Amino acid sequence: MANDLPFIDPTRGGSKTQLARAPRPMDLAGMTVGLLDNTKEQADIILETIGTALREKYGVAEVIMRRKGYYSRPAPAELINDMANKVQVAIAAVGG
Amino acid sequence: MCSVHDTVEFEKRGIPATMVLTGVFKNAAIHQFRVRGLDGHPFVELPHPISNLTPAEMREVTLRYIDEIVRNLTT
Amino acid sequence: MNPAIDEFQFFLEKEWSDGFPVVTPTDDRVRWMLQGTRRDPESIVGHVPPAGEVATVRDIAVHALMAGCKPEYLPVVLGAMQLILRDEFNMAGVQCTMHGVAPLMIVNGPYAQQIGLHGGNGCFGPGFRANATIGRAIRLLLMNLGAGLAGKASATVFATPLRYTACLTENVERTPWETLAVSRRYAQHENVITCAIVESPRLHFDDVSIEPQRLLRGIADSMTSTGSWNMWFSSDVVVAMSPQHAALCAKAGMTRAEVQKRLWELAERPQANLKQGGNWRPERARAMGIDPDDDDYPIKAVKDLERLHLIVAGGMGPITAICHGWNDSSRAVHGTYET
Repeated sequence: MANDLPFIDPTRGGSKTQLARAPRPMDLAGMTVGLLDNTKEQADIILETIGTALREKYGVAEVIMRRKGYYSRPAPAELINDMANKVQVAIAAVGG
Repeated sequence: MCSVHDTVEFEKRGIPATMVLTGVFKNAAIHQFRVRGLDGHPFVELPHPISNLTPAEMREVTLRYIDEIVRNLTT
Repeated sequence: MNPAIDEFQFFLEKEWSDGFPVVTPTDDRVRWMLQGTRRDPESIVGHVPPAGEVATVRDIAVHALMAGCKPEYLPVVLGAMQLILRDEFNMAGVQCTMHGVAPLMIVNGPYAQQIGLHGGNGCFGPGFRANATIGRAIRLLLMNLGAGLAGKASATVFATPLRYTACLTENVERTPWETLAVSRRYAQHENVITCAIVESPRLHFDDVSIEPQRLLRGIADSMTSTGSWNMWFSSDVVVAMSPQHAALCAKAGMTRAEVQKRLWELAERPQANLKQGGNWRPERARAMGIDPDDDDYPIKAVKDLERLHLIVAGGMGPITAICHGWNDSSRAVHGTYET
């Protein structure tokens, strides 16, 4: 127990509070899908392919693609907020 | 990686989200989802490397994972 | 109380340990460390990515203590943490990248001398408490609060020895020029930290040149490595000239700004040369607005002159150290800090 230690233990992250996952729909028919391109190589081709396939085979109504300024950097809150107002599901590519 | 951050941010806003990465980053993504509070969050792993694939090859590889993407986003 | 705990083994077994023993944090020792700042210990400095755990002044003091800092080093640690958590620095990306880069702290101003920060012989290596422990304090924070652990959240392939510690100052006794901070229009009396995301230094030896143009051509060539990401992005680079190399330029009448500009001009390679190996791809050329078939096109190692951070450091000897950068998602940051 931490209270038994004769010194301070500054360790973090032991029991990270888990967030609630967004509830999932039954399917994607009629939905607007957001695609977030982090500008890393191949991300655009991957996301265009996904967008086309989702429209053609899964009944997705609309695809909104957004490109970040730099890869390796988290998307600004404004960009996420803007997409979250317009889409029902989102896919980000390409990680790394 | 930024895509983990972005995926988590969408989920926090009630938007089901997933991401695509290449295999060499799989372990990093698993840990990053954990430290950001979405332990075990599903993502799609493409075989590494992809940087040397032609556009046609990249499309062809991506198409193999569409079903998995949809599974990650639906019940 | 559990008398059986070996405090050293306890901390050495921590996931966030850097592999070396720490100074055991106790309430008394933390109080001692907090004497180094007037700031409110509970005030929040920032959140350390990717885990996003909060870092208060007290948290930073605890990690500075563990690293082996003296209280008078704490202002530098606090100032550096504030800088590296700026959005434009993108510590989130650095903590997770495959690359082996780390934030290098260059500390200028009188306080650096006052606390014994070292910029002479061996300044990139062990033996200097301020350099070693200030840099280490930052790393312990990044690993414990940020959880940027190799093989876990961090995909880093090799990391870099700079991830043990990376803090130095310039060789103010022997430099012929103004410091990096003064060149950026900070006043001489201001205490300034510059942080840049870089790789380990690569050493360029030149004990032959007797005039600056040949010297600078050689250094510039070392700045343009095949396999470096500097060629394919707008990245930072730190060039640390030894006092000997700096003197060669200064005696020929060159100012610091002129040397910086000349290195920037010379550090380029024809595209054909970069195609023979390494990370050339036609898409990467196109992304920079370059025709991949233009073999003669000169690709610069530093796209933006301001991202070439020239300092004078190290002992006397015919060497310049070059630290290549990362990518353009991180921009070097600089600012004053409170002592």
